[in-house]
Amino acid sequence: MRQRLVRLGVLLLFVAVTGAAFAQSGSQLRFCLHSEPKTLNPVLMADESSETVRYLTGGVLMRLNRLTQQLEPELATSWKVSEEGKTISFKLRAGVHFSDGTAFSADDVAYTMQQLMDPALHSPTGDSFRSAEGKVITKVEAKDRVTVIFPAPVVGLDKLFDQVAIMSASSPKKEMAVLGPYYVAENKAGSYLLLKRNPNYWKHDAAGVQLPYINSVRLDIQQNRDVEMLRLVRGEIDFINAVDPEYFDKLAAQAPGTVTEAGVSLDSEQMWFNQVASSPLPAYKKAWFTSTNFRRAISNSINREDLARVVFRGHAQPAVSWVSPANKVWFNAKLQPHAFDQKAALQMLANDGFRLQNGVLRDREGHAVEFSIITNAGNKYRERMATMIQQDLAGIGIRLNVVTLDFPSLIERITRTFDYEASLLGLVNNDLDPNSQMNVWLSSAEQHQWNPEQKTPATTWEAEIDKLMRAQASTLDQKKRKQAVDRVQEIVWQQEPFIYLVNKNAMSAVSKNLRNAHPVVLRPQVYWNIDQLSLGSEVAQNR
Amino acid sequence: MNSSSSARSATRTVAVHATRLAVILLLGGFLGATLVRVAPGFGTDESDLDSRLSQQSMQALRQSRSSQDSLAGFYVRYLGRLLHGDLGTSRTLQQPVTQLLKDRLPETLKSVGLGLALAWTLGLTLALASVMSRSWFVDLFGSLLAGVLLCVPAAVMAILFVIAQAPARLVLGLIVFPKIFRYARNLLARTAAMPHVLTARAKGLGGTRVLLWHVLPVAAPQLLALAGVSVSVAFAAAIPVEALCDLPGIGQLAWKAALGRDLELLVNLTMVVTAVTLVANSASDLLGNSARAGAV
Repeated sequence: MRQRLVRLGVLLLFVAVTGAAFAQSGSQLRFCLHSEPKTLNPVLMADESSETVRYLTGGVLMRLNRLTQQLEPELATSWKVSEEGKTISFKLRAGVHFSDGTAFSADDVAYTMQQLMDPALHSPTGDSFRSAEGKVITKVEAKDRVTVIFPAPVVGLDKLFDQVAIMSASSPKKEMAVLGPYYVAENKAGSYLLLKRNPNYWKHDAAGVQLPYINSVRLDIQQNRDVEMLRLVRGEIDFINAVDPEYFDKLAAQAPGTVTEAGVSLDSEQMWFNQVASSPLPAYKKAWFTSTNFRRAISNSINREDLARVVFRGHAQPAVSWVSPANKVWFNAKLQPHAFDQKAALQMLANDGFRLQNGVLRDREGHAVEFSIITNAGNKYRERMATMIQQDLAGIGIRLNVVTLDFPSLIERITRTFDYEASLLGLVNNDLDPNSQMNVWLSSAEQHQWNPEQKTPATTWEAEIDKLMRAQASTLDQKKRKQAVDRVQEIVWQQEPFIYLVNKNAMSAVSKNLRNAHPVVLRPQVYWNIDQLSLGSEVAQNR
Repeated sequence: MNSSSSARSATRTVAVHATRLAVILLLGGFLGATLVRVAPGFGTDESDLDSRLSQQSMQALRQSRSSQDSLAGFYVRYLGRLLHGDLGTSRTLQQPVTQLLKDRLPETLKSVGLGLALAWTLGLTLALASVMSRSWFVDLFGSLLAGVLLCVPAAVMAILFVIAQAPARLVLGLIVFPKIFRYARNLLARTAAMPHVLTARAKGLGGTRVLLWHVLPVAAPQLLALAGVSVSVAFAAAIPVEALCDLPGIGQLAWKAALGRDLELLVNLTMVVTAVTLVANSASDLLGNSARAGAV
């Protein structure tokens, strides 16, 4: 009898222990955010962490499938964009409810658009829809039909709705009532966010099981990337969305089969020279930086292959222009990365009166060519790139000084004081449509970083870019748009206001316990199909 | 001295301390605000590089940030709000500072409390054992441990704890421990060598009695002063430790606020840390004075 009791006790203990382990691994997906979300209001979200929360909790009218790069119906069963591109009409899904039980209707779409386009809120998502001054009108035609009318054509209008999380017009929980797969159940400031499965989520799988499969998602706020990698190896988190080359190689060695390289990403690393006329630089340096020959010579003197091979350990490609080769539709395939050719570089410099004397490059007036490049401190890949560029430029007699600054100081210099000579930074690109970069290419724009907010274009090629970018933004004819964007890429390739260096590869690490994960190039690389993901144990439960 | 005059004297002492505390607090806040205001990059934000924002939005956002441009104006407005219990809103985290402090301060107090408890338990025990036992081994062990811990930077220690999956809060204890051990050991050793202690020993008093009646009462005022200083040391160490170990306390908040040039948040954090330090030091001063008076 006593022996039986002991055995029963041991068995119960075993069941309890394995059950606890099962529940822990099977019910919760865990991954890291690198900073605290600045807001949980989907209209105001701009930082990466907030956008992660929006992606996991927000219900959208249509979603861009990150794998096929095609739009798929979500809360809208169908939609139609008018021929002139100013109007979009939606037919909405019936019987959908927010996480708090409030019914979803066309009024919610109207309310969301009104919030999104409120000029006082300065929503980055809302601003993407602004192609001209004027009011956006939303017409609720029936409970399940709504039309949004913009004052001017908006290119890629339907795709922009991928970022618009619909908010409830009537829920007392306001923006915390959501239509996405999860809702925010707990927010421990600075520590973690706990998202729980939305009990009213409308999607079901082919077998009729309500999605998502995973009960909850815990987003741990973890700034330290080393610790994040350590936690993945220990099995404390289930994936890392974007892995650095160094960690990628370490993980590939430590835990083979967990890392995935999806190919070249949309992100680029580039340097540029300060061409602002009012900047506090000496006139002779301004003359260097505004010379096309000078910029092209610098570009030709940089060995991009080496940057990709040494700095990014082969997990990057030499960049061509402002559209990444990952963007199959818009990339100008006729262009090739600038070759590493220091002889050609010296020839171009000679055309501008530069000459090499005792290993030092001097301009026409005898000034030794020396300049500094600023980049953000703490980004080891940029620091290493700057060092390699320094060595490359020494080959043509140019002395480059590398200056690392913390991000606020760097922003101040490149956007306000213009007290810098050259800068090395990256561009994080989430959008396939080149129209999203209008604020970079228009000479009047603030993000036209080499010479922002010009009253009239300073050069003829900038005037041509302005004309082409405006032309592509005002037509829905895909062929005409492609021609214009191709030409802008050519001009940028020739003039090199930005010297594009490399496009990094999109790399992720996924635990073997996570099922149905297919990391892709577009953000969010791993959890783009969050409602389809399951953890090892849950697959067994659901099948 | 009669009881009413001693009460008056105590009240006066407390009042002087309170006034000094308030003045230093205000000055500390103002200096903190000045440093943030003149730091390069003040008034910028990552949204300055957001290409999705329209020209109008970008300018409006910049204008809203430049409303804090005048330092004196900001500080006067801040003090006015402070009188009404409003600490303002953090620009980088877009949350009321009161809420942030409410969420984060308990975490730091927990870390600092645990760290101080560990440091004092370990430091004082080893110091007492070293002095009272007069064992070269205990002294060497304590000195070596303190020396090693003193040489390891706080950030390195924090990372080692993360790798070892040890509770990060204990790092604070190990950072404060060497200071307590070294100071307490020297102080106790000096006190133990005083003539009255030697006489007591010569008269055959037991070790515990000598310690409790003749060593500790004499060393108490300085040990209390050390307690005040140890609070400041623990708070200062909390910043790198919390930032590296991702502990959601005010140390981590201060780090983020400094990186984001968050004036509103930094001024309040400066005030909080100054207040904690001053209160700890004032309390140790007052207790030290009483101990001294008691000893006399």
